[in-house]
Amino acid sequence: MNLHPVCREIEPDLLAVATGEAPPAAAERVEGHVARCAACREELGHYRAVERLVGAYRRTPPPGDDATLARAELDSRLADLRSRLVSFGIFPSPLGPLLIARSELGVSLVRYLGGRGSAAAEARRFLGQAAIEDRTATEGLYADLVEYLEGRRTRLDWPLDLGRARSDFQRRVLEATARLPYGAVASYAGVARRIGAPAAARPVAQALRWNPLPIVIPCHRVIGSSGALVGYAGKKVALKQRLLAIEGVRAVPAHGDFRVRRDAMYALHVGESEYCLPICGSLAERPLSELVLFGSRERAEAAGFAPCTTCRPDLHPLAV
Amino acid sequence: MGDDPFGAVVAAYHAEIRRYLLRLTARASDADDLSQETFLRAFRAHRSLPPGANVRAWLFTIATNLCRNHFRAQQRRRRAHAAAALDRPERDLAWPDGEALAGEARARIEGVIAGLPVKQRLAFVMRKMHDLDYVAIGVSLHCSEESARANVFQALRKIRRGLDGLIPVTMESQS
Repeated sequence: MNLHPVCREIEPDLLAVATGEAPPAAAERVEGHVARCAACREELGHYRAVERLVGAYRRTPPPGDDATLARAELDSRLADLRSRLVSFGIFPSPLGPLLIARSELGVSLVRYLGGRGSAAAEARRFLGQAAIEDRTATEGLYADLVEYLEGRRTRLDWPLDLGRARSDFQRRVLEATARLPYGAVASYAGVARRIGAPAAARPVAQALRWNPLPIVIPCHRVIGSSGALVGYAGKKVALKQRLLAIEGVRAVPAHGDFRVRRDAMYALHVGESEYCLPICGSLAERPLSELVLFGSRERAEAAGFAPCTTCRPDLHPLAV
Repeated sequence: MGDDPFGAVVAAYHAEIRRYLLRLTARASDADDLSQETFLRAFRAHRSLPPGANVRAWLFTIATNLCRNHFRAQQRRRRAHAAAALDRPERDLAWPDGEALAGEARARIEGVIAGLPVKQRLAFVMRKMHDLDYVAIGVSLHCSEESARANVFQALRKIRRGLDGLIPVTMESQS
């Protein structure tokens, strides 16, 4: 196109007017020019037509414009990334530095640090070098934990990330244990029954030994069939006794271990909605694996259970 | 935990970014891969975004960079397989029937857009299909605002020429 110099100069403004982007001065210039110049008037018309066609093209979704599948795949990749993206904080505690780690899915690791080298370096040995030290991400969890250990809080309602579970079996054990109510104990065999593997008491105990979230997932509420506390994080059975005492479950020293007394606890037969005195019906003969024991009526009722209408624990409470 | 700011970003922009990439690559599988990579990169970096940042423009920048790399890689492959004589990105999908734009005009616009130099094509699609402002387009293309506008206008000139004969001669009268 051999344009007149004036027309050539005004051409970009023509385009700007057609696309609606021209500043007022340029729009005025174009208006004055096209009133005199038929060629540019036609050109402006062409550009306006292009603008409309481009608008129509834009409103036509391109083929393959369904993002549903791509979105589902992205969400699953992100969930995976999130669970591996870990922030952590290290907090003082009476038992030494306490490591709390979380992903975007939930709290993923609670652990006492042994104090070899710097605490942050030790934390990264557990969490991977990519873990981010970020106290603000975990200090809310720490504050709740302190309240819990001081007996001022009965629930730790944190979303859990069980991504550190070593197997599907361990994950099921941890999930079942997380459902045990505050102030209650059940046996390893009882947890095994709940996950549909009644013969697996010993593997359950092993799974809980490697609980990545002690206290948060209350493995201290799981005891031996005899009522003995049996073990906690290796040999820290005295700590287990202290954690239970905070919740109102008494355990007395017995043969280098501690033992809860069934005859001094309220009992719930698993699956029932009423809690009983330990002598109600045939409860005393039932294996501990079928029962949940509560240290007090308040705890049984806070967990949503009603007093038994036969043995009436509400009228005849156990002598404390 | 609880609040999920990045989840909201995905919900708000994934479909749009994928459509942007689909318009550029014309292949659903490429749009899937590139949009996924865009958001995975964004996820890794979003914590370091300053508060109040224009997240949408930022996602377009990431997507644009990935797309340019993709075109470069494609070109290298094509050169390596020159014998196959693929001079156009192959299109794996047909347009559905009966949508807004008449067939021939659409085919022409498409053809012109596909034949634009990459920078003009990116600028055009960002501006005219997704309404990004020239500042954001300039950031995405590592150029000035003026250069971003010039690229869009150049694309419009080529489309106008490409549509010659299709545009009715008697257009609206001047106001």
